[in-house]
Amino acid sequence: MAIEMKVPAVGESITEVTVATWNKKEGDHVKLDEVLCELESDKATFELPAEAEGVLHIVAKEGDVLPIGAIICTIEAGGATASVKVADAAPAAAVAAPAPVAAPAPAAGPTTVLEVKVPAVGESITEVTVSVWNKKTGDSVSLDEVLCELESDKATFELPAESAGVLEIVAESGTVVPIGGILAKITVGGSVSAAAPAPAVAPSAPASSGDANYAAGHPSPAAAKILDEKGISAASVAGSGVGGRITKEDAVSAVKPASAPSPAASAPVAPAALAGGTRREKMSSLRKTVARRLVAVKNETAMLTTFNEVDMKPVMDLRGKYKDKFKEKHGVGLGFMSFFTKAVCVALKEFPSVNAKIDGDEIVFHDYCDISIAVSAPKGLVVPVIRSAENLSLAGIESEVVRLAGKARENKLSLEEMSGGTFTITNGGVFGSMLSTPIINAPQVAILGMHNIVERPVVVDGQIVVRPIMYLALSYDHRIIDGRESVSFLVRLKQLLEDPARLLLDI
Amino acid sequence: MQDFDVVVIGSGPGGYVSAIRSAQLGFKVAIVEKYAVMGGTCLNVGCIPSKALLDSSEHYYNAVHSFQEHGIDIAKPKVNLGQMIKRKAGVVSNLNAGISYLMKKNKITTFHGLGSFDSAKTVKVTKEDGSSEVISAKNIIIATGSKPTILPFIPVDKERIITSTEALKMTEIPKHLIVIGAGVIGAELGSVYARLGSKVSFVEFADSMIPTMDKTMGKELQKSIAKMGADFYLSHKVTSAAVKGKEVTVKAQDSAGKEVEIKGDYCLVCIGRRPYTDGLNLAAAGLTADERGRIAVDEHSLQTSVPGIYAIGDVVRGAMLAHKAEEEGTFVAEVIAGQKPHINYNLIPGVVYTWPEVAAVGKTEQELKAAGIAYKEGSFPFKALGRAIASMDVDGLCKVLADANTDEILGVHIIGARAADMIAEAVVAMEFRASAEDVARMSHAHPTYTEAMKEACLAATAKRAIHA
Repeated sequence: MAIEMKVPAVGESITEVTVATWNKKEGDHVKLDEVLCELESDKATFELPAEAEGVLHIVAKEGDVLPIGAIICTIEAGGATASVKVADAAPAAAVAAPAPVAAPAPAAGPTTVLEVKVPAVGESITEVTVSVWNKKTGDSVSLDEVLCELESDKATFELPAESAGVLEIVAESGTVVPIGGILAKITVGGSVSAAAPAPAVAPSAPASSGDANYAAGHPSPAAAKILDEKGISAASVAGSGVGGRITKEDAVSAVKPASAPSPAASAPVAPAALAGGTRREKMSSLRKTVARRLVAVKNETAMLTTFNEVDMKPVMDLRGKYKDKFKEKHGVGLGFMSFFTKAVCVALKEFPSVNAKIDGDEIVFHDYCDISIAVSAPKGLVVPVIRSAENLSLAGIESEVVRLAGKARENKLSLEEMSGGTFTITNGGVFGSMLSTPIINAPQVAILGMHNIVERPVVVDGQIVVRPIMYLALSYDHRIIDGRESVSFLVRLKQLLEDPARLLLDI
Repeated sequence: MQDFDVVVIGSGPGGYVSAIRSAQLGFKVAIVEKYAVMGGTCLNVGCIPSKALLDSSEHYYNAVHSFQEHGIDIAKPKVNLGQMIKRKAGVVSNLNAGISYLMKKNKITTFHGLGSFDSAKTVKVTKEDGSSEVISAKNIIIATGSKPTILPFIPVDKERIITSTEALKMTEIPKHLIVIGAGVIGAELGSVYARLGSKVSFVEFADSMIPTMDKTMGKELQKSIAKMGADFYLSHKVTSAAVKGKEVTVKAQDSAGKEVEIKGDYCLVCIGRRPYTDGLNLAAAGLTADERGRIAVDEHSLQTSVPGIYAIGDVVRGAMLAHKAEEEGTFVAEVIAGQKPHINYNLIPGVVYTWPEVAAVGKTEQELKAAGIAYKEGSFPFKALGRAIASMDVDGLCKVLADANTDEILGVHIIGARAADMIAEAVVAMEFRASAEDVARMSHAHPTYTEAMKEACLAATAKRAIHA
């Protein structure tokens, strides 16, 4: 009895995941709840525990991108492990294992039936209409061959076969099918693949030497390393070397078979040869999402940036005076982040539109300040959230920052910890930025950019003095925040930071 | 405290290669070496000095035995052992300087002193003058190598009962050298002194020389060394060794339990090597060695049980060979850099620097039999080879084992002149999974020793060697 393990629904907006690493190998015996593999979404990495005990059969390889609900692997429960062995020994002397109880299937080879489902094609799309089938029931289809055309209310797209096999149509043309609904079934394996060792079939590639093609698909040492680094299995690469060996060039030009449907008709095949010093790398899911969102914000909001400068001397003096005692008492260092977060909370209370979001024709105001902090993590930019920052002490904020940044660096942030912020602070100063125009973290409507602190000559009471100055930038969505509010917000921030006693006195 | 991306402990062939590869990958690297000179066992008291003496003794042996036949008349040559040892020392110091240069060139910081763990992320370097310094690292690579194994009932005094280290700096040629252990090191050093005129007796527990290699190799090597007048006590178990004045007495039992007594003036103990982690303070890093002194590592990364600490070469499982350590050194540096390198341990060649040399890669005939793999065997003797006859180096043969069904080469075993250089062809062929016929169809220059490989492949593929 085989159990199909599918990509679980992990969050509202997540439509696909990437298989990051398999902890188990094909054919391994796995126990209930043992971690099988790591899956990566554009927001977080999570582990997939086994739903049953049994023998693992991997369907999706490392690096494959799968829609929610797609089959990752199957687990053959019970003691029927012996039957697995029979597969590759079909023509050889029968293995002594007793015939599987009531197995009507011919002993041609292992067959699995793959369900072809409607992929998640966009956030707002819930169903599609099958417009036309290019293949009939009973047709043999090959990998990536277009099976049918699907229509949503926004676009028409093609559905490629996820595997080679024999097609059985479930949803006829004209049927409306929800996302995740079954369109067809593909019977994989069986007689098609089992025919390979039969001597009657003349191999199309002439065997240049030796008696058999035993080395077909064997990667050269350099090719093996390159393929591993690309996360491509040697089995999916056609070798162009003698006897089907995989050469270094084969490995360099190999591309991962894309399983995700793409609206574009057919992606260009790998570039013939990469000349010069260029390197191509697939964007990670996270990178793709970040890219998509940033462009969307630029296109869909009326974003602009206002600037101001802050004399950091008062905060620095305060910090210099108390940082040792603070550390001693609270067990966490006193940084600038807590001052900024605190001041931002005060200013947000006074200018609620900066702490709002747009939902259709309505403006949603928040009476709490969940502050997103942009952190540079190994896999890219992430924005964990400090909840109800307005209620936290400076020490509380600092320890939250330390905890979240630590988790971000280890890729351990949960979705929960990254969603729902009402305002974002980003600090380009840690990398030495003097001034920048940050992009809003949608659906929020404003973002504060901190920058480096530089000693500059400024005029105080008619005298030119040297002061540590930081430029501040506030990018905001002009659709709901006007210049008066945005500018006043920054001025208020400056006031609070240049006289931190105000934070204490709430004035 | 100085902080590094990678700290390598030990500057042998595994350690220094790992350091260079790490530096090439952009890491900030330090290397810690206990001795004043770089290069570890291989360069200072192993491969390089023994090869230097092997070649010197070979020249001498030829001068005495084959110059006349070649048509060169000279006065009876004499061994100047002092000069031989001095030349060897020159070779070693030349290469020591070479490694130091490579460290500088790659901007690797060198610390001279005993490296030991201070924690899982810090290494304490204790210098000769007793002072110490602690350095920290994100990644630490243990490459501390091995030392000769010593048996409790053989009192090594380093004067009369010696290890390989002392055998490389003798001040006189032994009259009768008793070699305990006829493995790779015993065979190499025993043959050096046999050629310089010593009577050599090999006492070996197994039933052949170089017992871990293909049986044909041990048999052929024994034939060659026996020609120099060596005695063999195979299947003999040493029970005691004792020094009295300038005389060493070794007692051993044969398989029937009968005792023999061998008297000589020196006894060389070469029964193997043990992983060397003394003074490393593994406990501070949370590591322990196994019952054989090895450090356990993950097969896919060579990482130890402690994240960020790796181990390579003789301190981990596998053959104790310099080139195996080098591969692992490169491997670990690339793993740390996030790459996914491979090592095919089945294709690490084994080499014995006797003359004739012995070299092998892949499976032995005994291993194939035990695994139940159907194979074909093809051999070709050096004495049928034009080049070998011209050079008067006719001892030896090349033996190729190929899969009976696919003709894929599964093992290559060569004994003969320059076997150590020839084995590279077999490694290349096997990395690409060549068949015996593939190699047989490749042109081999004439007249060369490598024609033996081609002929053996012809013999293996279809019993059709041309010159046999």
